[in-house]
Parts: sequence; structure tokens; C-alpha cells
Amino acid sequence: MGTPKIITLQEATSMIKDGDCLAFSGFTIWRRPVAMCYEILRQGKKNLHLFEVQGGFHSEVLVGGGAVKLWEGSWMGQEILGKTGVNLSRKQANGEVIVDDLSHGHAVGRLSAGAIGLPFFPTALAMGTDILNPAYDGIANAGLRDGSNPKIPKEKYTTVKDPFYDMGELLLMPAINPNWGLVYAPMVGTEGTVRILAQCYNDQDVIKACDKVIVICEEIVPDEYLRREPTQNLANGYEIDYIVVCPWAAHPTGSQFYYDTDADFLLSFNKSTKTQDGFDKFAEEYIYGVKDHDEYLEKLGVRRLEKLRASQATGYSSRVKRGTR
Amino acid sequence: MTASNEYAKVGEFKPLDLLAVAGAREVNDGDVVFAGTGLPMLAIGLAQNENAPTARCVYEGGSIDGRPIDTPTSVGDARCIYQASRAGGLYEAFYGQLHSGYVDLGFLGGAEIDKYGNLNTTYVGTPLNPIMRFTGSGGNADILSFAKRTVLIMVQEKRRFTEELEYVTSPGWRVKKWPSGKYVPKQAVYGKFFKGGPSACITDMAIFRFDENGEMYLDTVHPGFSVEDVKNNVGFDLNVTRCSGETKPPTYRQLEILYNVVDPEGIFLP
Repeated sequence: MGTPKIITLQEATSMIKDGDCLAFSGFTIWRRPVAMCYEILRQGKKNLHLFEVQGGFHSEVLVGGGAVKLWEGSWMGQEILGKTGVNLSRKQANGEVIVDDLSHGHAVGRLSAGAIGLPFFPTALAMGTDILNPAYDGIANAGLRDGSNPKIPKEKYTTVKDPFYDMGELLLMPAINPNWGLVYAPMVGTEGTVRILAQCYNDQDVIKACDKVIVICEEIVPDEYLRREPTQNLANGYEIDYIVVCPWAAHPTGSQFYYDTDADFLLSFNKSTKTQDGFDKFAEEYIYGVKDHDEYLEKLGVRRLEKLRASQATGYSSRVKRGTR
Repeated sequence: MTASNEYAKVGEFKPLDLLAVAGAREVNDGDVVFAGTGLPMLAIGLAQNENAPTARCVYEGGSIDGRPIDTPTSVGDARCIYQASRAGGLYEAFYGQLHSGYVDLGFLGGAEIDKYGNLNTTYVGTPLNPIMRFTGSGGNADILSFAKRTVLIMVQEKRRFTEELEYVTSPGWRVKKWPSGKYVPKQAVYGKFFKGGPSACITDMAIFRFDENGEMYLDTVHPGFSVEDVKNNVGFDLNVTRCSGETKPPTYRQLEILYNVVDPEGIFLP
């Protein structure tokens, strides 16, 4: 607790240990800490446990690059730019990644309980489905619910009868408190106050639920500037442990009022990484073949990035061609 | 708008146009609608411009009642929050709106459906023997479980309209009671939490609804198709005795709204 420490992308990433449980900011193809996920692969991290309300490009990269042992979440894909998460699909089918499915409501509930220090969250969402089929509990089937890993609950869920108002049976979902929250935010104050400029997705819950939080941002601004409008801020500085300054860190995902999603990049990724060979070629070109994030940006080039730059009036780019007209 | 309220003729509209129009007709004025990316956005956008001007839209990313001036390509898009009354997050969308009971109508798609409106959006195969993975539930299971009515948008193929799903992602009118996994009426699992279920299924060939027992029946057949065509593209014994005729085509006005107002860039309607 206190004021977060400003460190480099490499330093921040080096603190993550093999086998750690990670959660991320953002939603599908928006505000993902992509630069850090690339660096995780460069540093060769293995056996990671991802807890995701829903995945996206950043976690497809981690899965495709072989850094992930266990994926818990409700959804994987890149919206209309890639309707399935091709890397997770391939790695689950060939047994390289253990998968346990949740619904959005279940995952949100688990993270929310973790965020407020409660051990479980009651919910009646998505009952009566195979998400709750005991035979399909991927984590139990892998023998990982033995209580030895503090980030894995001993049961996927349990049911309880409402003792107060006789509403009947509902679910209790276990809290999740990942080791690391990797959070992309456009603006962070000098004392660590965090501001995002759009929907908050699950970012607050990720910040509060995770043991340690790294915020990777476009820019550090005077805290005094953010404190002029406290209603606009997402998190307090003392909830953040480390800050990394890294412009365009979310590319190819978007950051409202900074840059739009890079649709061509995402489409091409989804098409070209259906096979491991395809992923390896992508990774060689954009991850291992560049020394750091600056070299990645140089490779993308000014022209590409300028096109994605967001309008300060609407928060997104008006120069990207999105449809056929 | 200059175009008329007359119906367009076969050949003057595409299958996708009719899907969007049929979806829009399911929206009541004043509905709070929880919509996903793609066709649901077209349907709600058209409805707000025509038959349901005070329908409100909740997107999963957390935007509520946005009034986008550019078509969003994702439910977390920057475009969703333009002129929104609130920009919250998923906790607000799934608990503050859905679990709390505000959502009148959901719009969902799926890879496979059974006759009770259960959906599979997760696997070819099962988690024990996965051949391929789709996206997974996301909010699909939650929305179908808690919206008062839900419209399901599907591609009409025999293998997608199946007697028994290998994996049930989202609960229809008969759901699995754990730990046995036996199918029971949805009300038996949801008890006092029960709010409703799937109300219609719209495909590129027909519109289906659900009877008193939660079983799917054929309601209308799209222009250019026959009842026989539909039966041949359903993998279970389909009730066609309640078929009420042909689906009304889009009007010229609806087509103009779709192409000029809702999706002028041609993102979903090429």
C-alpha cells in the first residue's frame, strides 16, 4: 500500500512467476494490456492460470504462445473480427490447455466477491445448463481441486436454499483473487489515481480482487488534474502496486479517446493463427522478432497508427474503413 | 424518410434484411433490450427508428441506452456509449440490469438449438472430447436465463436444429436439473427467480414460437420457402399445425432505415 512504483515493462513482467494466476482489464477487443502479454511470451513464462470474464486478443496470444496451462472464463473470441478464439480452440482440443467454462454472470460474480473480500457470491444466473454439469468440471477432471492451490476453489460451485425470503435454490460461486491484475488504463495520476474514459467493464473488480496490480498506461498525468473530477476516476492510487508507461500498449485492441481497434490486424491474426505454425509465424514477426514495444510500434508504422487515432469529440477514429460502403 | 410502408417484393431484399426486420418486430415500445453484436444491433436499431422509439438498449460492456451515431462493431465498442444515460460495466449489465429484473427482451444467436430453445454456443463435441470450441457462453446463458422474453436468431440447417444438444450452454424451456442432469421444466429449476424464456426463433427460412409446453412450433414461413423446406431443415419432429402463413416481407421504409440509418457503412449489411 502507498504510492505505486513506476517501473519498466520488462521489470513488471519479470515479477510474474510461472504458474501464477492472472486477470486482465478490458472487454474482448478493448483496453487489453497487450504489450505486457507480448513481453510475457518474450520472457518465456509458463503454466499460467488465466481467470477471464471473457478473453480476447491478449489471451489468444498467451494461449497460442504456450504460456497458459489453465483457462477459466466464459468467452473467447474477437467479436466480428474473429468469431471464435482459434488458439484456445486448438489447444483445448489437443489437450494442451485445461479449460473450465463459466457464464459471464458467474465470472463477474466470482470476481466481484474477490473484490470485496467475500468468499463467495450468490447468483441465480445460467442455472440448468452444462456449465454446471459436474462431469464437465475441467479443473476437477484435471485433479486440481485438491485444495493445494490457493487460487483454485475446492468446488466449482455449490447450491444453497435461500434461508431468508424462501426464494428457493440458487448458486454460490467461489470468489477469485488472482495473483496479478494486469490493467491497461489510458491515464494514471502521479499518485496512482486511475481514469478510464468509457465503460468500466470489470476493471475495478480486477484491481480490487488481485493480490498485486500493474497498471500499464498511455501517460502519467498530475494527480491534481484527475482530482478535479473525482466522479470520473476508476481506482485509488493505493490500490495499485506498479505503473508502467507504455504508449499504444493496448494495440491492436482499442482505447477510447486514444485509439480505435485495429480491425485489419485482428482479422488477419484470427485467420492466420488457426494452426500452430501460423501462430508461430505471427509471433516471430510481431513478438520475438522485435526487441521491445518501441520496435513493435516502429514496425507498425506511423501511417497505420495515425489512422487509428481517436477523435477527441467521439472517442473513436473516423478514418478507419469499417464496412463495405 | 421518403420510402413507403408497402412491402418489398421477393428479389428486392436479402435474407439478412428480413432477419433484421423480423427481429425488430419482436421489440415492444418501452422494452429494455439486452442485445449482442451483429443482427441484434440491426434489429434493435430498426425498432428504435420505427415501431419501438422508446426501447432502451443494454450492451454487455456496460453501456445503457446509448444513442450511437456510428454502428458499433462490438458490445464493448467506444461507439456504444455515445449519448448513453450511463456507462457502467459488466456488474451493472448482468446484476444491476439483468438479475434485478429490468430486462424485458434478450436477443441471442447460437450454433445449435433444440426444440425447447436450449442453445449450444460452446462446443462441437463435449468438454470431455472437444473437437472444436466456439466462443462459449459469454452472456448468452445469463440472458436466456433471466430476460422475460428472448429472441433467438439462428441459421436454418438440419444439423443446427437438433433433437438433443451435446452441450447445453443456455437454458430454454426445459433445462437440466443437477446433479442428475434430467430435463425438467425451467420453472422447476428457477423457482421464484423464473422470469420467462425464449419467445421466438428467427431463421433465414422461418419464424418459430414456443407452445404452452415450451416446445417449438412453426409460426410463419419466409417468402420463397415452403413448410416442407422448413421441415427438411429441422432435425427433430417439428409441429407445423399452428403455422399461420407467410412472414411479412420488409417494407421499403424499413429497408431504407436499415441501409441509410442503422448500418450506413455496410458493416453487417454488405
